Amino acid sequence: MIPAQFDYAAPATLDEALSLLAERPDDAKILAGGHSLIPAMKLRLAQPALLIDIGRVKDLSYIREEGGQIRIGAMTTHYQLESSERLREICPLLPECAASIGDVQVRNKGTIGGSLAHADPAADWPAAIISLRAELVAVSSRGERVIAADDFFVDMLTTALRPDEVLREIRINAPGGRTGQAYMKVHHPASGFAVVGVAVSLTLGADGKCSAAGVGITGVATKAYRAAQVEGALVGSTPDEQTTASAASHAADGVDANGDIYASADYRRHLAVVYARRAIAEAVAKIK
Amino acid sequence: MKIEGTHELRAPRERVWQALVDPSVLQRCIPGCERLERTGEDSYAATLRTGVGAIKGVFQGSVRLEDMSVPTHYRIVVDGKGQPGFLKGAGDLDLEERDGGTVVRYAGDVQVGGTLASVGQRMIQGAAKMMAAQFFTALEAEAQVEQGDPPPRHGFFRTALRAISGLLRQIFKRH
Repeated sequence: MIPAQFDYAAPATLDEALSLLAERPDDAKILAGGHSLIPAMKLRLAQPALLIDIGRVKDLSYIREEGGQIRIGAMTTHYQLESSERLREICPLLPECAASIGDVQVRNKGTIGGSLAHADPAADWPAAIISLRAELVAVSSRGERVIAADDFFVDMLTTALRPDEVLREIRINAPGGRTGQAYMKVHHPASGFAVVGVAVSLTLGADGKCSAAGVGITGVATKAYRAAQVEGALVGSTPDEQTTASAASHAADGVDANGDIYASADYRRHLAVVYARRAIAEAVAKIK
Repeated sequence: MKIEGTHELRAPRERVWQALVDPSVLQRCIPGCERLERTGEDSYAATLRTGVGAIKGVFQGSVRLEDMSVPTHYRIVVDGKGQPGFLKGAGDLDLEERDGGTVVRYAGDVQVGGTLASVGQRMIQGAAKMMAAQFFTALEAEAQVEQGDPPPRHGFFRTALRAISGLLRQIFKRH
């Protein structure tokens, strides 16, 4: 449980961090909350030659509202998101998702940016971020770019971030009107990771029909995905019990599911359907 | 653990077969393969520096090709170990012609042990699928090269681009 030798840098500014990273993009890793990277290093499954700790960089930890968007700094901890009163009012999916992550220690140290950049196939945030159609702001010494949540997760533990880029901010359009949200997951009993996790954000129009739907699913495949067929079946219909069940039945359509010692691929697909149905029903029930 | 899958390659079967039995092609296609040396008839020694995301390791091992039936089938037997753990297994590869292209079907059984298996169990199957996809995408590019031309270059972005264009082609074909 002792990591291999590595160099350590704790820059005070993001610019410094970016220039360090630009010098050694192939063997340096950014350290955020360290709740995925450090365990992997202690097991020597990850052996970065340089660790760039961005914990001392100011102004990467915040929850702001700007131009109709919620903007979250990458170093905002799960606990800060879980305990934000304002988010509970305007986008309750975020605190709900945060509260389901790991345990208290993990939530106190782990960050939303670290979790997203690590892209664990069973992490909770990717499902929420996809369902909310978030934008992710990546920055490097070459400049800044915005990546859509759908394009961000490339494969298992692999994101669209380039080796010299750091995730700086997450932007979410504040849901308006009659919106209900829910995150439901099957907790892995040992790790707390999602065996399957389904995030739903659903908006009803004046006629009681669903005008917008976002459904993100994690834990099933090598990366979190948008359940586009479920969304398609919901939009334009009245989300009663029957519609919800038939929409949710498409939760794992065309998905190459993964199996492990705890849950087979078929079982994960089954859970995706059941939890999609429950999460949609819960989101609908929350609409005032 | 069972690993199986199917990949459709837009290259004639003869070319795919040649690529699959050419150690220099295999070395270029296997993600992270630093060394693939012939040690005997259809036997090779390999060094792999490979991984997924931040999780990386170096593996040393042997590869043996058996039950060769040109150009439709062989069995591959691998045995390797490295700092993160060990793996051992065998699998069958079958090549089938379809519409001028080639369908490669693989099915195998692999035992993984050590740290990798005890803490990474939930990710092993996904990682295997991901690496298989990278391998076959690179292999397809190799098989499409005319004989005598220089081999294609592989890298993460090139491989990703090829994978995306292949996917788009499949989607359009379906409609």
